[in-house]
Amino acid sequence: MLARRDLLRACAAWAALPVAAAGCGHRARPEYRDGRVVVTFWYAYGDLVRKVMLDLVARYNASQSRVFVEAVHQGDYYECLAKLRTALAAGAAPTLSHVVCEVIPYLARAGVLEDLGGYEGARVLPFVPALEQRGTFAESDTDGHAQPLVAIPFNRSTPIAFLNARMLDEAHLAPPRTWDELLDSARTLTRRAANGETRWGFEVPISWWYWVAMVGQAGGRLVEPDGRVSLGDGAGEKALRFWQRLVRDEHVMRPPPGRDYQAWQSSNESFLQGRIAMMWSSTAFVRYLEDNARFPVLAAPLPRDVRASVPTGGTMFVVMRGAPDAEKQAAWDFVRWMCDAEQTITWSTRTGYMPVTLPAVEGLVDRGWYARHPNDRVAYDQLAAADPWPWAPELFRVDRDLVEPRLEEGVLEGADAHALMDAAREEAARPA
Amino acid sequence: MRPRSTWHPWAMLGPTLALLAVFFALPIGVAAYESLFSWDMLTPPRYVGTANYEALAAHGELLRIALRTLGYSVLVVAGTMTLGLGLALLLDRPGRLFAFVRASVFSAYVVSWVAVALLWMWILDGNAGPIAGFMRSLGLAPVSFLGDPGWALPTLAVVGVWKLTGYAMIVFLAGLQGVPRSLLEAAALDGAGPWARFRHVTLPLLAPTASFVATTSLVTSFQAFDVVRIMTQGGPARATELFVYAIYEQIFLNLSVGRASALTVVFFVLLLAVAGLQLRVWRARAGVSR
Amino acid sequence: MRESRSRYVAVLALACVAAAAWLLPYAWMVLTSFKTLPEIVAHPTAPLPEHVDPGAYREVFATLPVARYMGITVFMAAAIALLQIALALPAGYALAKLRFVGRGFAFGTVLACLLVPAQATFVPVFLLFAKVHVVNTMTALVLPFAASALGTFLVRQALVSVPDEMIEAARMDGAGELTIVYRVLAPMLKPTLVSLFLVSFVFHYNDYFWPLVMTTDDHVRTLPLGVALLREQGTGVRWHIVMAGNVVLSLPVLTLFAIAQKHLVRAVSART
Repeated sequence: MLARRDLLRACAAWAALPVAAAGCGHRARPEYRDGRVVVTFWYAYGDLVRKVMLDLVARYNASQSRVFVEAVHQGDYYECLAKLRTALAAGAAPTLSHVVCEVIPYLARAGVLEDLGGYEGARVLPFVPALEQRGTFAESDTDGHAQPLVAIPFNRSTPIAFLNARMLDEAHLAPPRTWDELLDSARTLTRRAANGETRWGFEVPISWWYWVAMVGQAGGRLVEPDGRVSLGDGAGEKALRFWQRLVRDEHVMRPPPGRDYQAWQSSNESFLQGRIAMMWSSTAFVRYLEDNARFPVLAAPLPRDVRASVPTGGTMFVVMRGAPDAEKQAAWDFVRWMCDAEQTITWSTRTGYMPVTLPAVEGLVDRGWYARHPNDRVAYDQLAAADPWPWAPELFRVDRDLVEPRLEEGVLEGADAHALMDAAREEAARPA
Repeated sequence: MRPRSTWHPWAMLGPTLALLAVFFALPIGVAAYESLFSWDMLTPPRYVGTANYEALAAHGELLRIALRTLGYSVLVVAGTMTLGLGLALLLDRPGRLFAFVRASVFSAYVVSWVAVALLWMWILDGNAGPIAGFMRSLGLAPVSFLGDPGWALPTLAVVGVWKLTGYAMIVFLAGLQGVPRSLLEAAALDGAGPWARFRHVTLPLLAPTASFVATTSLVTSFQAFDVVRIMTQGGPARATELFVYAIYEQIFLNLSVGRASALTVVFFVLLLAVAGLQLRVWRARAGVSR
Repeated sequence: MRESRSRYVAVLALACVAAAAWLLPYAWMVLTSFKTLPEIVAHPTAPLPEHVDPGAYREVFATLPVARYMGITVFMAAAIALLQIALALPAGYALAKLRFVGRGFAFGTVLACLLVPAQATFVPVFLLFAKVHVVNTMTALVLPFAASALGTFLVRQALVSVPDEMIEAARMDGAGELTIVYRVLAPMLKPTLVSLFLVSFVFHYNDYFWPLVMTTDDHVRTLPLGVALLREQGTGVRWHIVMAGNVVLSLPVLTLFAIAQKHLVRAVSART
């Protein structure tokens, strides 16, 4: 006999399904907390830099009562970016985040970034020209359109050379200024111990950013004016071959293990432990390296080949277009505050990233900061040689998918540089 | 038994079947559909037919991923089965010491992959890890286990073996209980030494157990993801890009849903084939041993 | 069969080697977690820390909301395990004891799903969840696993050997079908259910992949994800902090293991 209880239980079980599926946790937007607009800010660093970040956020929150910035840590740049894009697709994106320069054209074209040009003061903030969006990217995209203002500089850097001053003094060497000098110095500085362990003359993460620097130094450009992704043509191959020569032929360079930022971390560690004499890394680590090294650290600009060239790096603030207006306004308020001289000075003196506004630079000069910390100036002075990124939506894909794995292949496995770059160019020509 | 009412069985199975269908069966079908499009989730999808499969197969990339995954799985299965059986035989004795050692070996299986991967990254660290230190003290130059394309995949396999051997050992121990002592004693009386006893009595009776362990270990290691994500992120130079990690990369790093779906379809078909093959072997072996 | 003494010594020695191979890594993990950064930079391979410094643990608890993540993870794992048992019981019962048209098909479906790993399904499931705005919620973490093909299978196997007479008798006493399943049969299956709960709990507690792809922020972040985030980029050697995080992550599971070893072992070694 059918027990009514059974029937009811069965119905309950079935009914529970769609109710559960409706889920809970959908936050109402715009979000308010204690009368303040909440700005969710996804950020992506750790350790020292993260502490400075959180300090500044706390300071901002305490300094006014209209806005509350909620900072959420998401891993490294690439993890944060991946989460950001999937969150955008899922309709669960934050209001504010920061992204690497290479991906900004792509996000802009996808229409997910807020046009900041109309916001109060946006067009008159006194940025260092090479660091703001206008100077970071080529004037227009390949169709000749000017770009709306969608990104505000945040933590900006260039690659620089770090040298173990003690080792250089012992060998009576000055920081190398050309590729040839780099090779010679690396040869001199490489020492092999009896047990096969080596003190390497030079190390650099096998990474897109540094390769781009060398492509520029060899006189090439990533994307031609007509839009063709050339990857520097001959210059791109020359750059890769230089690395191959250092690693495989001359044995004066060791490619650090690990991918992406694991490799950067490994290089920094090796440098601090005195296992390498010279390395290329980011100006972001100036403070960290100086504080933790037991030898004097010397920073120097990257060497030149036919010309001097460096890309800019780090990230820029972006605001999501899909966020409610109140949140976007609030986010803009925070971003502007971060661009004030006091904040940007705090940021750059505690880390090593460059100050992004001209008044901040003057302020630092005035208080004698650069006189006491000459290493901090290197990146800023090097901006004279900074090359802009092309405004190409496929730039990020070219970086992550086409070039970076091939750089590893070329250096770690010795594949032919020309064949690799050809394959990359061919794939770049194919639609995604 | 007859159900009290015809709809009873379906009511009882309903939630289970519905959930399994929605979260396991249907997604495969959806993936097959999505694999025919190019879509980055931020802009509308574009029909591309088999272009995703072609792009994956170009330059042999798909084949390499499949071979790497198979290679890794074979290494892990072979390692865990050998070590697992060896440890089961060694530790199948009474006493607190042996129980403690068994527990130690099995504990690695219970701990999370995150913990295991991070721990081994630290141990294998070329600069500061104990293994590097040990090699230096022996007068050898340290090897970059995770940074050298030749070493990376075998290293991951070793970590996998370390984690999964406990599982194989426990299953083999249970299997060993099923070997009647009377048979072993009879063989001993016939003059068979320990090795001969093992080969002619124990091993054949363990065949079904071995096949079970092999199948489940193969399916598990085919799905390896955490260890790659944490230790090598698919590098160096793609040497450790296994199937599931490749799917993850396509979707989260390249935002290419079409490619990820194509990879999913190939992965599922391959896994089905491999598991089916294993099951066949298992049935055949079990049949022979009777 | 008596073993020769030399053979026993050899066995003992090998057992100690095995124990070392599996215990030394943990020991290294714990030792590292009590070191300080300067120590690790200067003498990374020194076996013992200069003195026991809980600084790394302080940092872990300062950086991560450990209690919150732990609570989320435990709740999620327990919810999944309990739901799985609740659903596997009637489903396994239907497959084991009731004869009906389509039983073979249902059983086949369950078996087929045993082969499908979560990684093959996350793309469509993520998109589905995105459409109904459920991404980054506890629902997204729990619902996909509420039904367990393995659990259903194990319950079915266990029930097959239960005599039909018992069920007939209960029916004649007027018990409803669900009462029979939950009040009569479930207690008989206690060992199976306990083992199923433990295996499921441990697996989902440790799960890194599904929470990684289903969460977008701190809302329902689980502890394995939090610990993985301790690995920072660029500013080097934080291994003492990472290892401390590891210890915090592994301690509950290892404790559970120590207490409930027998059940876990039985669950793992149970087969058809």
